[in-house]
Amino acid sequence: MYKLILLLLLSCSAFAAGNNQNKVEYLGELKYLKVDKILSANKSLLKVQVELSNTSIDNQQLYYRFKWYDSDGFTVWNDEPWKTLLIYGKQRSTLSAVAPTKKATDYKIELQSPENRNNDKSNASPLTGN
Amino acid sequence: MKLTKISTLLLSILFVAGCATTGNSPVVRGGENISYGDANAVETVTLDFGSTDLQSIAESMTRSLLQSDVIAKSKDRPLIRVDSIKNKTSEYIDTASITDSIRTQLTKSGSVRFAGNEQSAIDELNKQNQSGLYKKKKSNKIGAMEAPDYVLEGAISSIVKKSGSVKDVYYKFTLNLSGVGSNVLEWSDEKEIRKTKK
Repeated sequence: MYKLILLLLLSCSAFAAGNNQNKVEYLGELKYLKVDKILSANKSLLKVQVELSNTSIDNQQLYYRFKWYDSDGFTVWNDEPWKTLLIYGKQRSTLSAVAPTKKATDYKIELQSPENRNNDKSNASPLTGN
Repeated sequence: MKLTKISTLLLSILFVAGCATTGNSPVVRGGENISYGDANAVETVTLDFGSTDLQSIAESMTRSLLQSDVIAKSKDRPLIRVDSIKNKTSEYIDTASITDSIRTQLTKSGSVRFAGNEQSAIDELNKQNQSGLYKKKKSNKIGAMEAPDYVLEGAISSIVKKSGSVKDVYYKFTLNLSGVGSNVLEWSDEKEIRKTKK
């Protein structure tokens, strides 16, 4: 019986982790970078951890930022600056973030990697300079 | 004759206005191609200390400090005084701008309070209490200032290397929070940034 409950709980948590994929907003479909797992916990401040993997043998540059929302769905913080992450070929990498305020109870992650998009027609990128 | 002059003037005004605006969008353009960009974009114009470095340092330090036991487990919002950030790099960096960003973000988080400008507060208090210009009942009293619990100070240093056309810059920003009464370093963190030009 206990095993059955444990199995049910495990399947529920796995489902929750899989469901977190709707927290990711892709700015163009990523070709080589995959989001494997998203964990979140709200103890005082909301914490989020995103596990990514690079399926290519080449290094990939990722641009990302988090958006923070309150329980009513309103944004509780200004737009964050875009951040960069270099993921080496075949590397698994982790992004982690903490909400800037206790008001934040929900989040979204924006991801973009200009060099490995499938839809190469657009040149939109959160990059200023060369 | 007068009517012709007025209509010519009106036409020339309309012509100039027509040049300055573009179509039906609320934009006034000159001859040069100037546009507003995203202030949060990753800036890689040069290797020098830039907006992205400032933003990432401020954000990283703020989030780390908010998670520290000193802040997270404090029952009341601690009062912090911001000291200077030493610039140990060879380039000019407005370190006050970094502390301003950190202070703004921490204040907005609602978890801490910051001591204001001490000298301007003293000047204002002296003016209110000693000039005889203000109503005594409504004047702020001397001796009611709150003493800060912690002091925030730090440093930024860099290592620059160049070989041929390759130039590499490594920045290290360190921030420390010490208790004023105890002089104990309660929290410390650092942010590293590497930029390379090939």
